[in-house]
Order: sequence, then C-alpha cells, then structure tokens
Amino acid sequence: MIGSIISSGVISPAWDNFFAVILGMGFGFALEASGFSSSRKIIGTFFGYDFVVVKVFFTAAIVASLGLLYFSYLGLLDFSTLYIQPTFLTSAIVGGIIMGIGFAMGGFCPGTSLCATAVGRLDGLVFFGGMFIGVFLFSEAFPLFESIYNSGSEGAKMVNTVFGISPELFTFFLVLAAIGMFAGAGWVQKRVKKVEY
Amino acid sequence: MERKYTLLAIFLIVLALGLVILPKKNELKETDPKALLSSVVEKSRYLTVDQITHRIIENDPTLMLIDLRSADQFKIFSLPGSLNILTDSLLTRANMELFNQPGKDKILYGNADLMAEKAWLLCSRYALNRIYVMKGGMNEWFNTFVKEKLLTGTPSTSDLDLISFRKAARQFLIGSGETGNASATTPAIEKVQVIRKAPKAAAGGGC
Repeated sequence: MIGSIISSGVISPAWDNFFAVILGMGFGFALEASGFSSSRKIIGTFFGYDFVVVKVFFTAAIVASLGLLYFSYLGLLDFSTLYIQPTFLTSAIVGGIIMGIGFAMGGFCPGTSLCATAVGRLDGLVFFGGMFIGVFLFSEAFPLFESIYNSGSEGAKMVNTVFGISPELFTFFLVLAAIGMFAGAGWVQKRVKKVEY
Repeated sequence: MERKYTLLAIFLIVLALGLVILPKKNELKETDPKALLSSVVEKSRYLTVDQITHRIIENDPTLMLIDLRSADQFKIFSLPGSLNILTDSLLTRANMELFNQPGKDKILYGNADLMAEKAWLLCSRYALNRIYVMKGGMNEWFNTFVKEKLLTGTPSTSDLDLISFRKAARQFLIGSGETGNASATTPAIEKVQVIRKAPKAAAGGGC
C-alpha cells in the first residue's frame, strides 16, 4: 500500500523510513498483544497445546488477501504497483528447513525474538544474539553459499498462476483452508493435555 | 466452536465468495489518448544497453527480456534469458498473461529501435505497466559490448570504469568477445616458438 501511495507521488519516498518505523512498531505491538513474545506459546504449535501462531498468521493472510482484492476491485489500489518478492525456490526450501529447525529449537522466529527481547525476556535475547552471529557468519561465508542463494529463480511468481486460477478463487480456497485449520486446531487442542505457562 | 467464531467464519466465507461471484472488470483497458501521447513524448521508457546488461549480470529477478526479432536471428544470438515474441503475436492471450505479471520489468528489443517502439506503443495502448525499450536495440548492444570503442583524449575515471565493466560484461556474456559465427572466420592462432635463454653463469659469491 505504501508502495502504491509513494509511487503515485502522493507521498515522497523520503518518508520511507518513517513509515517503516511506524509499521514496525505496529507489527511489534500486534506480536506482543498476541502473546508472541513467549517461546512456550510459540512452541505450542509443534506440541499441539497452543495454535495461536498459525491462527494469527492465517488470519493476517486472509484479511490482507481479501483487503487487497476488494481495494483493487474498487479502484483504490493498483495491484501492478505492489512489490512482489521474487521466488528463489532452492534457497527458499533450504532456508525454510534451517529456519524451521531454529524455530522448533529456539521457540522464536526473528521477529518474535526481537519482540521478546524488547519486553526483557532472556531467552529472546539469547536467540537474538545467536541470530546476529548467524547473520555475520553467513555474510562472511557468502561466496560459498552464493550459488545456492541465487538458484531456483522463478521471478515474481504468484501461487494462483501456478495453479492456473484467478486470485479471487485462490483467496476463496485460502479462506476455506484457514477456517478448516482453525476448526482442526481447536479439535486437536481440546484433546492435548493443557500446558500452563 | 463458539457462536462468535462461527459468525466470523461465515462472514469471511461470504466476503471471499463475493470476490468470486462479483462481475469481472474488463482488465484490458485502453489508455486515455492524452495519457498515451504524454507517455510517447516522455523518454522514461528507454533503458540503456549498459543498464540492462548490468541487470543481466546481477541476475535481476524482476527483469524480463523480450526479443522481438525473427526466430532465426534469435537462435543466432540473443541476450541471456530472453523470450522470443514476434510483434504480430504480442497481444495473444498467453503473451498478455506474461506482460501482466506483476513485479516484472518487461524490456523490449529488436535490431534497432523501430520494432521495439511499435511493440511498446501497442502495450502502452492496452495500459500494460512497466514496459521499457532497450535504446538502440541489438545493434547498439553489439557496438557497445562487442566492438571495442577507442578512447579519445584523457578518459575520466567513470569512463575507465565503464570500459572495464563493458570488457567484463563481454567476457561474461560471450566469453572470448566474439560471436559464434565470427569465431568460424577467426584465423588459427600461430604457435609461438619459445626461445629459451641460455642459463647464466652462476654468480660468484653473493651477499
């Protein structure tokens, strides 16, 4: 949305950092309000006693998809001016596996570890430090990983084009999948022993 | 499931269903003639061969090169990653989907500017975004990267940087600096006779 406003000249690109900080604060507040600063709550997804992570992220995905498509339909937003993150399939798979292992082991993802650090949690601080060591090592050893990093380039690919369906129909299926997941998560949660934290 | 969550789920399904059943807007609109005229006058559609080559080497995922020349010419030589689309099949359904890809800069090029300009105008009339023209086409690219330009006078640092970039790009894109056909006419390199110097007499003493 910012991209559209800025590229249309309504707001100068000089405000980029200002909006980045405001949106970052909003995102951090939403994470903390959802309880994402607790590693035990996050890790609950893997053990089946708390599905707040998937619920929040699925909710964000469907609300954003519906909002973007309705705004585009009403002419309030030009879809083509939005930046689509390019897909690098191989590096996404490798990175996803590494991040998944780190997520399960540490109980945080990068954003939530910052959130936990901000509210003074020691485990968040340790994770945050580890993340920076990882970033440093990766940067120093980048020439070794460069071929993997750039491999599997698919350009700015959309899931709906892969399936050959319209974005509207894909969003409809996404909403159904999200609701099915919410119901399934509730069903699992009732059958798993509650964990106090 | 609690009643409020059930209601929320129904609301979301209705919203999503609304998107599916709403009448489709005609996405292929023609550009307003005034806007088209002003974009024709404006020169922001041109990208230089240096800019494009830099993006090719950088493996820029937002770059989509479209070679408008004939299939024969395309086979002989084209820029890496280019798609061969002829001007008469530019606005077919499959190609329109290609041009409508969000987040991609579509760069059109022919042998010179004429063909790319025509294609750009066609695309712009149909309000397709992020369409650019490689200024000078393949002729300009060949003159810039394959033919060595001699410098006159004292070159500035930026000139030297540009020349070294072009040399590196030539190596990167076409290896020896010759196109495939040209290499057939290149005379065989003469074998250099190595004349070895007779070993010097060992120096007496030393420091």
